[in-house]
Amino acid sequence: MNELIYNLAVWLDDTEWSRMLHESYYMYNWVESTHVLTLMVSLGMLFLIDLRMLGLALPDVPASRIAERLNVPMLIGFAVMFITGILLFYAVPVRTSQSLWFRIKMVLLVACAVNAFLFHKRMNESVSTWDIEPRAPSRIRLGAMLSLTFWSIVVVCGRFIAYDWFDCDTSPNTLIDIVSGCVDGQTRF
Amino acid sequence: MNAVMLTSYPRTLTVVAALLTLLMLAYGGVMDAVYPSLLGVFEWLETTWFGVIGKTWGAAFAFVEAVHLLGLALLGGCVLAGDGRLLGVVLTDVPVQTVVERTHRVFVFGLSICLVTGIFMACGVATKIYYLPVYWFKMLALSAGMLFHFQIRRPLLGHDIQNLNPVVVKMVAVASMLVWFMVAATGRWIGFSG
Repeated sequence: MNELIYNLAVWLDDTEWSRMLHESYYMYNWVESTHVLTLMVSLGMLFLIDLRMLGLALPDVPASRIAERLNVPMLIGFAVMFITGILLFYAVPVRTSQSLWFRIKMVLLVACAVNAFLFHKRMNESVSTWDIEPRAPSRIRLGAMLSLTFWSIVVVCGRFIAYDWFDCDTSPNTLIDIVSGCVDGQTRF
Repeated sequence: MNAVMLTSYPRTLTVVAALLTLLMLAYGGVMDAVYPSLLGVFEWLETTWFGVIGKTWGAAFAFVEAVHLLGLALLGGCVLAGDGRLLGVVLTDVPVQTVVERTHRVFVFGLSICLVTGIFMACGVATKIYYLPVYWFKMLALSAGMLFHFQIRRPLLGHDIQNLNPVVVKMVAVASMLVWFMVAATGRWIGFSG
């Protein structure tokens, strides 16, 4: 599996656009800056929704209204982050695909998606009974807490990707090499 | 309405004067005179606990960077929700005063996170950022943003917003979003410089 990922990453790395994007100082930085600054739209809205459920923000505004109204800008923000994230991966595919932090981040993103699905499902089923309460029921609060926790770790992992602590060409730790997907005899890093 | 606007004028003028003074300090001869003497302060910052931790443990620095981003996300979300409501773009069916007031509290929390983590990071790389023009642009933008938010936007919106000139309210919202975007963008650019 890791070899397949590595070969795919090498193939991407060999494409001209990947090289151009990686070597273009301004373009790469613009894409990365957009990815980071869009946090304010996507996570900013998400945090407000989650904090509302916990009773820590906008407690006198109906919860369903906050969730529905802020959902659209939040999803626009996530769409931009998704596109710029794919571009960032495309620019540096080999190193990124073998980054421990990137892999943890991807797993957590799946966890975030599952949690968001369950959160909205539970909320839609019961919101009419607690909509104007300052704090949501405990099940919804748990979902909000998990969302805050998962996304915070996603941001930490995203930031850590920039550091080379556990890169395949530097890490001497076998376990980390396995988790990172380092391939024996690989020539590209 | 006139009474409301007039009481805001002296405060607005004071803030504009303060911002002009900041600009003059930044680009005038005063800054040229003061700038060399600030090097000692930045060198000292690197010897503080924050500076030593930031320089010694790369993981601690990186973690604080991530917390800085989380604070920025919170701050940005509040700015966008509050100013978006002033512009009539988001939460249009929630009273504007409620959105502005409630998001302000979270904004202060986000800003506090950014300030504390920002000071920590600055201590760790103090002698590097001292020579970066973009760092000084960021400090200028941050000062402008804080002055604008606490001395113009908040006092103005503390009045009944329905009684304020809608054009003024929308201009305040646009200015607020622009200034905080400038703070975030110059901050990001620090990472690409030096």
